[in-house]
Parts: sequence; C-alpha cells; structure tokens
Amino acid sequence: MAISVDSPEVSRDLSKKAGYTFTILSDPNTEVIRRYDLLHVGGGPDGHDIARPAEFLVDSSRVVRWTNFTEDIRVRARAEKMLAAAKSLQ
Amino acid sequence: MPDTIEKQLNWAMWLGFLLALGAVLSNVTFFANPPAQRVIPWLSLLLAVVALLFVAMGLWRVFAPPGIHRGRILISTLSLFSLLLVAAAIFTFVRARALPRSAGAPQVGEKAPGFTLADTTGRPVSLDQLFAPTADSAPGLPPKAVLLIFYRGYW
Repeated sequence: MAISVDSPEVSRDLSKKAGYTFTILSDPNTEVIRRYDLLHVGGGPDGHDIARPAEFLVDSSRVVRWTNFTEDIRVRARAEKMLAAAKSLQ
Repeated sequence: MPDTIEKQLNWAMWLGFLLALGAVLSNVTFFANPPAQRVIPWLSLLLAVVALLFVAMGLWRVFAPPGIHRGRILISTLSLFSLLLVAAAIFTFVRARALPRSAGAPQVGEKAPGFTLADTTGRPVSLDQLFAPTADSAPGLPPKAVLLIFYRGYW
C-alpha cells in the first residue's frame, strides 16, 4: 500500500491511470508522515510539505522487517528488491 | 598560416556542450527505472564536471592567444549554453538529494506506528485492516506482511 499527501481524488485518478490495485491512502495533513519522521518540509513542487520517499515491510505482528530510505528522489526502491524482501520473511 | 588553425573545429567546446547536454538528459533515464539507477546521479555529476573542463579548454583556445580570432561569438554563446546546462545538472543533483535524515523513522525490529487514513474512496483504513484477508489471499490466510510505500505525491 502507498501513502502520500495527495487527496483521495488525485490518488484515485493515479490508480485508474496506472492500473494500480493496491491500497492508496491520503495524508493531506502529513499526520502519519510526521509520525514516521518522513516529513520533507517544503519538498513539494509548490513548496508544500510532503513525504520523503521511504519503504517499510511490516509483518503481521506490526514489526518492521525491511526498510529503504533513498538518498536521491530520482533513485527509487526496485520492485524485485521489495519482492525479495517479502519472500525472505517466509 | 594561423588562418587554418582558426577554421578548425573547436572540438573541446563542442565536446563540452555535448557532455553538458548528456548530464541533463541522463535524468530522463530514471523514468525507464534502469537497474543501475543508483549510479546515474553520480554519472550525471561526472559528465557535468568533465563538460566544465572541456568548456574551459575551448574558451582558452579561442581567447588566450593574442590577436583577433574568428568564431568568438559562436563559442561564447555555446559556452554560455553549456554552463547553463552544467548549472541545471548540478542544481538537480543537489535538490534531488536534499532529503530529511528521518532519524526517527521506524527501523528494522521496531514496531510500525499505527494509523488510520482515507483510501481513494474516502473510506478510513487502518494499518490493522491492511492485515485482514483480502480478495487476493487464500481463505483464512491473511497477508503475512504489508509493504508501506511513502511517496512524494503530486502525480
């Protein structure tokens, strides 16, 4: 699932356009983004506060098992890496 | 015959321009999500720095020797374009990496903070709910893990 500051409407359009089937949640007030200490102050295109890119794999006891914090917004977690992390939990 | 020298292509200047262009255009490759994307920012920076060296060489060639030389306007314009491209590449590099440290973010082995947020239909969804069995999972087999992806948004 994914979280951003985008409104449900914007996320719905993105989901439809890209064909995503996973859950996308909206955090327009950056409440959860701050709870995870991922606030990028003024990082949005119009100077709004947004989330820095970050990925967490959480197991069913809510324990974080794998994380990824990119150093460059252009470099993102690769799908095969995330799948490998998920498979390693078995 | 100094004339023949001046008519020669200022290869250093043109190479500098092409490298500067490459430094900026290398950013396009991120959209293709290449496996080696981690090295592309550094490659882009390297191209920009090498471009700068060649532009300096090209300028030196035209302006250092005494006397009147042809092509100064073309070379000056080209060097200006190259410098703007180099500046854009370096600015992009610095901006893309200006990220918060996120030292307080949950680490491996720690508990993921709970939350409830609206999904694309406006329905509130909690972290716990994400572990409930879904249409994709086999009956009675809830998801073993959930991948939380925080992204910048503004799509």
